Amino acid sequence: MAKSTTANKHSSAIYANGAIKPSRLRRLIPASLTQRWSRWISKRLPPQKQITLSHKGIFILPSGFGLVWIGLIVLLYLFGTNYQNNLVIGLSLLLASVFHTCIIYSYKNLAGLTFNAVTPPQGYAEDSMPFPIMLTGHTRQNNPDTTHQQICLQFSYQRHVRVKQMHEQTIAIVPFEQPKRGKLNPGRIKVSSYFPLGLCRAWSYVDLDIHHVIFAKPEMCDIELASHISDNDNHNEHGKLRPGVDDYKGLRSYIPGESLKQVAWKKWAQGKGMLSKEFAEPEGLPVWLTLANTSGNDIEHKLSKLAWQVDKLSQSQQIFGLILDEHIINQQTGEAHRVACHTAIATYHAPTNMNPDVNPSNVAKSSVGEPS
Amino acid sequence: MTDNFDAIISRNTLFWLLITNVAILSPLHQQATLWSIGICAICFVWRLGIFLGKVAAPPKLLVTTLAIGAATTLALVSSQIGLLNALVNLLILGYALKYIEMRELRDVKAIVLVGYFLIGLTLLDQQSMLNTLHLLAVAVLNTGVLISVYQDKSNKVANLSFSLKIILQSLPLAILLFVVFPRLGPLWLVPNMKTAKTGLSDEVSFGDISKLTRSAELAFRVGFDNPDGSTLGPANQDLYWRTLVMENYDGKTWRQDPSIQQIQRQAYFNKPKRQAPNNVANASSKKIDYVVISEPSHQKWLYGLDEAFSSNDQVVELADYRLYSLRPVDQRMSYRVTSYPETIMDLKLDSHTQQLNLALPANSNPKTRKLGLQFAKDYPDPQARINAMMNYFAEQAYYYTLSPPRVGEQQIDDFLFENRAGFCAHYASALVFMARASGIPTRMVTGYQGGDYNAKAGYYSVYQYMAHAWTEVWFEGQGWQRFDPTAMIAPQRVLDGFDATFDSQSSYLQDSPFSTLHMKQYPWLNELRQQFASVDYYWSVWVLGFDEQRKQQVLAKLLGDVSSTKIALLMIVSFIIIALVIAYYAGLFNVDRHQDPLNKRYQLICKRLAKKGIARQQGQAPFDYAAAVSAHLSTLSPQVAADFTALSNAYVALKYQPLSESQTQQQQQHFKRLYRRLRLRLLRN
Repeated sequence: MAKSTTANKHSSAIYANGAIKPSRLRRLIPASLTQRWSRWISKRLPPQKQITLSHKGIFILPSGFGLVWIGLIVLLYLFGTNYQNNLVIGLSLLLASVFHTCIIYSYKNLAGLTFNAVTPPQGYAEDSMPFPIMLTGHTRQNNPDTTHQQICLQFSYQRHVRVKQMHEQTIAIVPFEQPKRGKLNPGRIKVSSYFPLGLCRAWSYVDLDIHHVIFAKPEMCDIELASHISDNDNHNEHGKLRPGVDDYKGLRSYIPGESLKQVAWKKWAQGKGMLSKEFAEPEGLPVWLTLANTSGNDIEHKLSKLAWQVDKLSQSQQIFGLILDEHIINQQTGEAHRVACHTAIATYHAPTNMNPDVNPSNVAKSSVGEPS
Repeated sequence: MTDNFDAIISRNTLFWLLITNVAILSPLHQQATLWSIGICAICFVWRLGIFLGKVAAPPKLLVTTLAIGAATTLALVSSQIGLLNALVNLLILGYALKYIEMRELRDVKAIVLVGYFLIGLTLLDQQSMLNTLHLLAVAVLNTGVLISVYQDKSNKVANLSFSLKIILQSLPLAILLFVVFPRLGPLWLVPNMKTAKTGLSDEVSFGDISKLTRSAELAFRVGFDNPDGSTLGPANQDLYWRTLVMENYDGKTWRQDPSIQQIQRQAYFNKPKRQAPNNVANASSKKIDYVVISEPSHQKWLYGLDEAFSSNDQVVELADYRLYSLRPVDQRMSYRVTSYPETIMDLKLDSHTQQLNLALPANSNPKTRKLGLQFAKDYPDPQARINAMMNYFAEQAYYYTLSPPRVGEQQIDDFLFENRAGFCAHYASALVFMARASGIPTRMVTGYQGGDYNAKAGYYSVYQYMAHAWTEVWFEGQGWQRFDPTAMIAPQRVLDGFDATFDSQSSYLQDSPFSTLHMKQYPWLNELRQQFASVDYYWSVWVLGFDEQRKQQVLAKLLGDVSSTKIALLMIVSFIIIALVIAYYAGLFNVDRHQDPLNKRYQLICKRLAKKGIARQQGQAPFDYAAAVSAHLSTLSPQVAADFTALSNAYVALKYQPLSESQTQQQQQHFKRLYRRLRLRLLRN
């Protein structure tokens, strides 16, 4: 597939939490203007699951290098005029014309590019959260000069990822550093490109309407289980399933060498193949994870500990339930249960707005250990 | 603000920089001082070492020290080598040193920009068409460096071909801008290149012009604009290109008068102009319009016939009816001239000029002086006297030679009475001396005589070997009249041109064995030579000499009458056309054109179905979609549902199943049939 690299911006300051500090220039822009801008852009480019870039959403302005280039054009023109040399004037006009050609090429480099958000993997708070974005080009493949290339994707104030050369379909992994727990809307992706000569930057803001739950950051701790409902036992091993002989658990395909006693001969007789009967026995009673029972200084700590325990218990296939104040998740095991528990923990009194386009300070400020 | 690039310079970029470095610096070898070339060579070899992995990058301190050292040295020697040369060298060194110490992409960009500027500097004195094409290729290379930064390719040639593509696509707009963009006069005084001067010198002593007659170099070219459209100029014997007027003689050397030199020095500030005769009452006089394209002579004097006027703001008109450039002609310069061959030059002479043109050094050439006085006694009428003097050269045994015998202390005496052989400068000197001795104001004029007519392109070439010296004699009521004593000795030279008198092999081609003028002997080679010369002439006229007047000419041809709205319209329309053409080649419009017909047809049907309210979801498999369609349409129009299911099957089979050739054909026909039927059905309902 495509080669893509993630690179640090070496020129800008990077916060301890990985997000990139807004440049000094940008901080001078008043907040009201930024808000008006984001309102305008969301009207022009509304959040959509799939976005194809067109003239409506592509902006092109000269880059810093482009401005220097224009300076060179003026310098050469003055030089040619003073020496009354038509060829030097011609060279300066040629460079001006190259600039014009580059504008068309850089527009073309983004136009027709389609973006789709791919379901992102599970992620924990304060970790690096990768958002896979599918890019679909709309140009013929036989000419490498006309494929989309050097496309840079980044969330606001985040590190960027660069797609060097597009194939028909390319997945770019756009990082979002150190999100807070809860529902995350990473905001607009800035898609930009300096192709072909770096004279101008074509860019767009793509909002793929991504909403993703970021799990609370797990914090290692002892497993603190409570038989919350039937308050009679406090054993750690409660709720764990282990292979046994007592309870019939289900059927699975026969593994050669297994005891023939376990083969479900009835099924075999029905022509359904060799299947083994599986048995399991629960160890003690199912148990509960509760917020109230979790020790910790503040709510974030407690939630972190809960998250760790959910993972730990799910790993050992233990049956457990989760009680977060009024929110109760019944006892169960399995991946779906784990996700449900994590989601509940993550959204428990979670910070509401995570869109950094609207409020960059959300990301820029340290998010660890804030009393809630 | 922020750059989205990794700071590492790719190997492709380094490779192209190696080549571009040599390509940009090599055409500048004439301007570069020896040690600049040395430093550039060291930098190149070092960079090559880095590229091949043999040596490490130089320490920053070393590069900084070198840069400061070089800049200081250049500042110190700048007065010696000239300010512009110092600037060129400074840029060359900056280019080379930046090249060796580059670490980031920013450095590469800086190098590329300086590269363009160096190309511009090279264009200052290399202006032929071949040079321009060469430098255009260098510009393509330089752009290729930038492209290799932004285009991720392991293929180096792809960088270059893309660069070529961008430059070629940019050329039409550049040419359009070149035609339309306003031409301004120079905005401020700029330093000039210091180079050896060529052509005529401002002093003439015996032997000077003979050096020029050995040079087959082009001096200038002239295109005549006759009202009837022909490009033929006056006859050869009237083509006296006045360049310098010499009034002072010290017994050895002819020089310009200091008062004229003073005017020339201050010409830039005073901008002397004469009044053209058509502003004066007698406007009936004959008028010749022509354009002169001077080759670089690094001198300021220009060439004109008789009483010459020029409207060019770089050209001033001196009181002795000559043209004079405000700046040394360091590059090909073209200027328009209007000459009035029939107007009287200086009807009245002021006493200073009269004195000046009668003055002779004391005790020089007593025999000639005596002869002059004798003529004065024999012919009291000045006109008759000069004619007699001219006839004297014809009647006595005088010879024209380009290698005259040596002369002693009394130059003219020795020439006139002993050697009796010489060339134009000898005869002109003798005539001026005699005429002045007899009391007629006379002066020496140098310039060029004649011109080679190129019938194909319709212009005259004047070569250095056509350098000539003649005299002007002032008569009461007639002003300055031209007398060329050389014409009396070698009339063929004046009537038919230099080549008629001399075997070219023995004269001007003696020192230039590779000159194309050798081809004159072979008709078809001569034809070829003339073809090349014509192309070069058109280049000089339409590109190098493109000015406001030419611009009006071109625009008038394109637009009929020229108005600013028309120009604006032309600009906008061509701008849009050019942008569309580039966009087409960039691949903006061929989104659908290259789609597989199978996909295209399938999608068209899908679109029609979507209009009926059964849209295909993003990424929905054809079978799933067919199922959805038949579920939706099974009752409404079962025929369509069945057809679409069949079409989907054929589509999937053609697209994904391995089929034999006959099967493919069969399926394709099936698909087409279904497609046509479905399209019609979906249109009808």
